Amino acid sequence: MAQTSCPFLLMDHDQPSTHSDPHRQLQMARSMCWHCQSEVTGEYFCERCVKVQPVSKETDYFTCLGSPRRLTLDPKKLEAKFYELSRTFHPDFYQTKSTEEQTISLSNAAVLNTAYRTLRDPIQRAEYLLALETGSVKDIRTSPPADLFEEILELQDTLEEYRASDRGSDQSHRIRVTLQTEEEALERRKEEMESQLRRLFADWDKLQDAGEVTSAARAERDRILKQMRDLLSHRTYINNIINDLAATIN
Amino acid sequence: MAYSDKVVDHFNNPRNMGSFKKDEEGVGTGMVGAPECGDVMKLQIKVQNDTIVDAKFKTFGCGSAIASSSLATEWLKGKKIGEAQKIKNTDIVQELNLPPVKIHCSVLAEDAIKAALADYQKKADEQPVDVK
Repeated sequence: MAQTSCPFLLMDHDQPSTHSDPHRQLQMARSMCWHCQSEVTGEYFCERCVKVQPVSKETDYFTCLGSPRRLTLDPKKLEAKFYELSRTFHPDFYQTKSTEEQTISLSNAAVLNTAYRTLRDPIQRAEYLLALETGSVKDIRTSPPADLFEEILELQDTLEEYRASDRGSDQSHRIRVTLQTEEEALERRKEEMESQLRRLFADWDKLQDAGEVTSAARAERDRILKQMRDLLSHRTYINNIINDLAATIN
Repeated sequence: MAYSDKVVDHFNNPRNMGSFKKDEEGVGTGMVGAPECGDVMKLQIKVQNDTIVDAKFKTFGCGSAIASSSLATEWLKGKKIGEAQKIKNTDIVQELNLPPVKIHCSVLAEDAIKAALADYQKKADEQPVDVK
């Protein structure tokens, strides 16, 4: 995980400096310019020969967009950086350049788009950060929130009952009212989860800003990540059932 | 990406959809979910004399998740507890021809089987049935 910090600052002095295979050269370019083989110290361009450098596969989206690994980001700043880099890598500016440079700028633009789309959304941003910090968020767990599942399954049953019911009937109307009430309650729970998440985001950022490496800081980090993981997955379940409800009764 | 014919078949004609009463004797219930997609799966087995005599499922999720659990219930029926333990997600992947992005659905089904078996075992341990 540690090597996901800025790849252009990594110095792999031990890497052999010549390679006949151009693809190998591209992969290695995180430490050395693919063109002039000098050490790359700039963000996206070699300072010596001014050639564009490829975004390494190991570059995380935060680094890619020049942002610290924080969970409350200023959307305006993020957008500004995105536009700036989009211009930088825009294919139009590479029309007269070499094929290598065209390929690099195009793939950089693609990575940049994904990075921005991910970081722009607070939930996706948090899921992404969790994946960076702890490996996959998306592990399937066999110790699920049993009550929540019970509740969801029950709601899905009622939803099926409603789908099967004769729409004009009293019974259908009654079920619909029940489901509407449930939907509103779920919406409130989702909002509550989201405000809990926002508190955790703030806690995370505070921890990052403090930059301490004590065992207390370590414990706090683990607490935040664990709670965030649970909340994010609960939120996905709740969100799914809300969508199902909305699609059926509204 | 297209679903394989077998997935489509299970999706259109799910086998053993439904549920048993949770507290019914010999019934084990497994409930699992995939936070990735928010899929929720409930799989139940009914056991008599160490043999799974019936199995039911309810899955709210994508076609592959439904097909995986439908197939799982088919395979479970008639199996001894020990044999059921051996069902692997890779068997499901193979049978249904699941693409890599849908492998987690088969993992979910395997987890559901394991959870149902564990629940059955737990209930059996708590209320020992008279051995004749």
